[in-house]
Amino acid sequence: MLQILVVCGAGLGSSFACQMSVESVLKDLNVEAKVDHSDIASAAGTSADIIISGKNFEEQFSRYDLSQDLIFLERLVDKEEIKEKLTPVLQEKGEL
Amino acid sequence: MKEIKFTKENVRLNVQADDWKDAIHQGVALLEHNGFVTDKYAFHIIRNIDEYGPYIVISPGIAIPHARPEDGAIDIGVSLITLKQSISFPNMETPVRVLISFAAQDNDQHLNIIKLIVKIIEDGLIQKIADISSIQKLNDLIGGDE
Repeated sequence: MLQILVVCGAGLGSSFACQMSVESVLKDLNVEAKVDHSDIASAAGTSADIIISGKNFEEQFSRYDLSQDLIFLERLVDKEEIKEKLTPVLQEKGEL
Repeated sequence: MKEIKFTKENVRLNVQADDWKDAIHQGVALLEHNGFVTDKYAFHIIRNIDEYGPYIVISPGIAIPHARPEDGAIDIGVSLITLKQSISFPNMETPVRVLISFAAQDNDQHLNIIKLIVKIIEDGLIQKIADISSIQKLNDLIGGDE
């Protein structure tokens, strides 16, 4: 199953809240995926297919050289923004 | 949901804060007063923001100060403060007047606190909370008593 990891600085607040919005968007889109959350230090070794994080982490992630699809959000709990940015990635992966 | 009952012990309304660091200190002071965190917790939150940017501002108008369990969290707990005047975080233009600070012991146990925060944002209640005049009205608005 598709795996999505949501990342923030501490890995238990902002990312957890964002995870709920992501799950809600996935439900709307009728896409099945396993969503989890973590802190940025643990994100480097993830096996998730898609990583979602805040815009402020973009520079940090650019140093990690990850092969995953990366999505950066202005607003972590904005379902419209999540849907807009996640949809093309899901289409590319054949999930939509 | 004992951890999200708002009382005079964990709420301060219309607080005067000098800047974002002062606002974090004031919100976290309530957690410390209630025995949920050590005196190191606010320091770690501020250090994280200095390092990663204001990841605690998850939607316009609201910040959710928190750090890792090992950064001084003792028990699951929450506090809420509203500010008399809005403050801005570094590299973030949207002003903040509501701060919901919390402590958690692992990545998942504080699910109810996160659910409440997401509900507040999705229901568009941030401005109403910023302007709220009593704890009773706050609990009526968000159902924190249930």
